[in-house]
Amino acid sequence: MFLVLLKESLIFAWQSLVSNKLRSFLSLLGITIGIFAIILVFTIVDGLENNIRGSIQSLGNNVVYIQKWPWTFGPDYPWWKYINRPTPKYYELDELQKRCKTTQAIAYRLGARKTIKYKSNSIKNASVAGISYEFYKIKNFDLSDGRYFTQNEIEAGYAVVIIGANIAAGLFPNQDPVGKEIIIGGRKANVIGVIKKEGESLLGISFDYQAITPFNFARYIIDTKSENSDPTIYVKAKNNISNIEMMDELTGLMRAIRKIKPIAEPNFALNETSLLSKGFDSLFEIIGIAGWIIGGFSILVGGFGIANIMFVSVKERTNLIGIQKSLGAKNIFILIQFLGESVLLSFIGGFFGLLLTYIITILGKDAVGMDIGLTGTNIILGFTISILIGIISGFIPAYSASQLDPVEAIRTN
Amino acid sequence: MKRPRIITAFCIIGYLSVIFTFPQVFSPAIKKLGLFVPAIFGVLVAAYFIACVGLWHFKKWGAELYLISFFSKTFFYLIIRDTGISFYFGIVAAFIFSIILIRYYPKMDKNL
Repeated sequence: MFLVLLKESLIFAWQSLVSNKLRSFLSLLGITIGIFAIILVFTIVDGLENNIRGSIQSLGNNVVYIQKWPWTFGPDYPWWKYINRPTPKYYELDELQKRCKTTQAIAYRLGARKTIKYKSNSIKNASVAGISYEFYKIKNFDLSDGRYFTQNEIEAGYAVVIIGANIAAGLFPNQDPVGKEIIIGGRKANVIGVIKKEGESLLGISFDYQAITPFNFARYIIDTKSENSDPTIYVKAKNNISNIEMMDELTGLMRAIRKIKPIAEPNFALNETSLLSKGFDSLFEIIGIAGWIIGGFSILVGGFGIANIMFVSVKERTNLIGIQKSLGAKNIFILIQFLGESVLLSFIGGFFGLLLTYIITILGKDAVGMDIGLTGTNIILGFTISILIGIISGFIPAYSASQLDPVEAIRTN
Repeated sequence: MKRPRIITAFCIIGYLSVIFTFPQVFSPAIKKLGLFVPAIFGVLVAAYFIACVGLWHFKKWGAELYLISFFSKTFFYLIIRDTGISFYFGIVAAFIFSIILIRYYPKMDKNL
């Protein structure tokens, strides 16, 4: 019985919307813009968050970075305490490898921007890194072609290089790069491998524009004493060892290697990816709240628009309500009829809002090159908000319509 | 019977609280709790609003819906573990108001 009543009420509501096309369009426009604003902001924030968190994840969860500068955020960064610290040295890697018991792998890396050439093709400002052998155990990357360095190539400093996918595409269009000789920072090196394409990353953590060489070769093209080369020792914990446990051991060993007195402050930083995540948490929270406020106001305006149009609709059809009631229509029927109209109106508005968001994300994905997509959560949220705003803004007009006296309602002009 | 002033005052507070509570439906904090959590919370907010409209018209179904939405909302906050000072303040206020509602309940209109 209720379903029949609901069906009839919705048919009435649909007919009313169709008979006042322009009015219906204008009132659903408010909801469309509101849903579009709020869901677009949520979609962009989700996309950015996934991208950045993915990039952070690629750095490794159980990896500790021994560096000069700590990864702390905020306005009170005491840079003067860190400026005179020494950068990590290659010999410290050897010492740590000898003494560390909690680590699965330890690697060294430094880098610089250099021009890479092959015949008439060249890539300027490519990232060139000098690494130690166990680097592949810490950083996850797949090779699409060729092979990784041998330990002998790394230790002896062979002039060999593994290049990123974009460098390969730029230097060797329609050619196989493996076995070819390229020039990095004025020195010749043989390409032995190509890293599989990783895609864009907001944090710039991608091997696509990188060339990696053995450290003992890189020292000829990169100034190892320069702080700009960002020398870092990467340490990965054994599977059953926690980062805290490993960091305790590293702190002791680094203090011993650098001969730091027991009461003196350490002159190195042990950085973890969780520090980066924490820094971004607050940023995303702020962006989310900003989007929430903007979208909230848009929805509120849209809701008032729907309420306004429903009051007009009730006023306009007062004598029709009177006739319906005099023919035996119950209050609940009139209530559902008007409430259905309001919910239908905002549901259609919400649908168009989501459709608009979907189109924008498709266009944005191509333009920005970032993976932004309308998620199931946001679709459900969009429809939930639009239905709710329909109920809340349409209930008072619908209820006042259901309470009309049939005799007085028929008399109304 | 004419609507008592205390219920008028309560309804006004209720309408205002809906304006402030509704944006929470799509707040990042609620959104990250789960896929259908915003929808459930939204239904509770809408039920609370409809209950206020019912109470404004001094209807029995308004009082009944108010009590149902109050208990459901309390249960919801307990599940999501959002039990700050405002939660306990809300419980005390709603409890006092429930007693007032029960007092006036026999005098309310039973029709829709």
